[in-house]
Amino acid sequence: MSDQDLVVETVRDILAGHEPFVLTAERSWDDGLWADLAAAGLTGVGLPEDAGGSGGELADAIAVVATLAAGAGAVPVAEQLLVAGPALVEAGVEHTSFDEPVTIALADAVTAEASDDGDGPGRFTLTGTATDVPWAGVAPRIAVLTRAPAGLDGALLALVDASGLETTTAANLAGEPRGSLVLDGVPATGAVLTPAQTERLRARYALARAVQLSAALQQVLSWTLQYAGERVQFGRPLAKFQAIQMELAEMAGEVTAVAALVDAAVQAADRGENEVLAAAAAKVRAGAAVEVVARLAHQVHGAIGFTQEYRLHHLTRRLWSWRDEAGSELHWSRVLGAGVLAGGAGNLWPALTRVV
Amino acid sequence: MSSTSLTLAPAPRSAAAEQVREEVREFLAAELAAGSFTTHVDTWLSGVDPAFSKKLGDRGWLGMTWPEKYGGHERTAMERYAVTEELLAAGAPVAGHWIADRQSGPNLLTYGTERQRAEILPRIAAGECFFVIGMSEPDSGSDLASIRTRATRNADGDWVVNGAKVWTSNAHHSHYAIVLVRSSPADPANRHAGLSQLLVDLSLPGITVNPIRILDGGHHFNEVVFDDVVVPGDMLLGEEGNGWHQVTAELAFERSGPERFLSTYPLVAEFARRAEASGDPAQLATLGRLSARLLALRQMSLRIAAALDRGELPTIAAALVKDVGTTFEGDVIDEVRRVVEVPASLDSPDPLGRALAEAQLHEPGYTLRGGTNEILRGIVARGLGLR
Repeated sequence: MSDQDLVVETVRDILAGHEPFVLTAERSWDDGLWADLAAAGLTGVGLPEDAGGSGGELADAIAVVATLAAGAGAVPVAEQLLVAGPALVEAGVEHTSFDEPVTIALADAVTAEASDDGDGPGRFTLTGTATDVPWAGVAPRIAVLTRAPAGLDGALLALVDASGLETTTAANLAGEPRGSLVLDGVPATGAVLTPAQTERLRARYALARAVQLSAALQQVLSWTLQYAGERVQFGRPLAKFQAIQMELAEMAGEVTAVAALVDAAVQAADRGENEVLAAAAAKVRAGAAVEVVARLAHQVHGAIGFTQEYRLHHLTRRLWSWRDEAGSELHWSRVLGAGVLAGGAGNLWPALTRVV
Repeated sequence: MSSTSLTLAPAPRSAAAEQVREEVREFLAAELAAGSFTTHVDTWLSGVDPAFSKKLGDRGWLGMTWPEKYGGHERTAMERYAVTEELLAAGAPVAGHWIADRQSGPNLLTYGTERQRAEILPRIAAGECFFVIGMSEPDSGSDLASIRTRATRNADGDWVVNGAKVWTSNAHHSHYAIVLVRSSPADPANRHAGLSQLLVDLSLPGITVNPIRILDGGHHFNEVVFDDVVVPGDMLLGEEGNGWHQVTAELAFERSGPERFLSTYPLVAEFARRAEASGDPAQLATLGRLSARLLALRQMSLRIAAALDRGELPTIAAALVKDVGTTFEGDVIDEVRRVVEVPASLDSPDPLGRALAEAQLHEPGYTLRGGTNEILRGIVARGLGLR
């Protein structure tokens, strides 16, 4: 038993009372699930207690995120526990608690100006539109990563009160809110991050999605194995057909490869070594597995898997979206390609063996 | 202990492995600089160089995990992993000793008699004794239990062997074969019974080695024909009738190493030079995608090395790595050619064109040798509880 088994069990117990549902503009997240998680202290796992969190290690937070991803929990937990929360704490941006969702927005098109509005130091005014914001319209607070104020390197991380902001209702392929927020001279508290801190934050976001992808891929394999074992055609379960076995084995290969690399990237993040390239590799590899695993899962499930009434789409639609969120697969492929060449093509192999 | 688990625990970091990795890197850089070898694709099949094998033996990089009393060095599987990985990444000529070091030695260590071990293992570890795999036959490929090479006891208690083995890589450079034979008549009720392994000196009378050329014209494969070959009775390996079990264990070693995803790494390295020179974002993205796949395979394979160090024989996980890894080896070719305009030719003035040609002409082998990917997926399916 690993140290995280208890965390996993607790999250599963809570998930058991909240079936995944089809997300719509009217019901775009599972507020009941969030409330239960918050009541159990699970929305602050891995964040220090003196900063409003519940304590615990990165591995605990990963376990919470992975379990919720496998259960298709429609809550901003990955964004809060792995990205926005740790970034705000590390940057020392003032916040209250983690009982209400705080999400992340990578907003390169938003500019920031230092302001002196009488609310103390670290005050900024933000202007511009933040697009593809996860859980826009759901999370009342958003950690916005903007361009740094003029004259400074890196980026600004500012905590924005989103309650009064104009929000569009765009969604990803799974119906998860991914709208835009219009910031028109919005005042916020923030801190300037160095370029290295900025890169790490983006990488942590990619790693969060990679963790979710890995967990969801494993669950899809497990559902498909179960279905193939139960569904009888020509007088025997699908799983007894060699053609199906080949497909299931291929899925298992992809799932195992992703898990091995994502685990290694999480450890790299924990050690603070090569965090960016490790996360890039994990995100790219996990994304690449989606094509194979989702395609074969649907193929094995047949027409029932193509319906909203059956559970498979809760994860396959998320897989199709997550692989290009937090930086597209193409983006992170380029980052990784350029990263392993940084020491010259003649040193490619040593560079590869250092990533994880 | 044979393990049926698909997923293995993460490999712990090994400082000793990292140290020997650096030593091998320095050695290889010096050898390359001295022109002792040139980098090629798939050199664990095609790169036979007894002098190079001897150098590795001298440095203690063969038989690494074996007991010292058999010429080994009592190092970990993680250390051996680092050494083999460095050699493959450099495209070094390792084919001579590869089979002996990877699977024949461990097989002897587990099943050999004291005399067999004492005589042969130190020579393998010195890089002086090469082995071939005597499993496949003209009429028996994936269906290994259907082999027909027979061994019968004569009046002196020796074995008389008749039959033929194929795809025996580098038999023309090798000293011994471990030959899977039918030592008692086939039993339709138990196809795996009645098989045994014999340790056969390839210089014995009655053995003919006929070349079989692969697609690029290279001579690596052979047909080895046994015509009333008298093999001394004490050259039975392991137990009579236990051949199937022994061969299965041997295959776990055969399937688990980094050569199952690094055969075309020299092509990746050559492509990286192109991507660096061009700065083309599409090429960088391709390099990134290939890197991500390779890094995942490394983690899977490292986990297997760590499992070997724990005394496990992760049969199913090894089948899985080989399936995913050899698929990657072939995919490298097409990933590269989709973003670089360079004709593949063994005569190309461009090293990338030559690497592409070598990789392409060897490609059909990646997903066949050591068990076809269909057979491997069958093993994985069994691990998933489907069979």
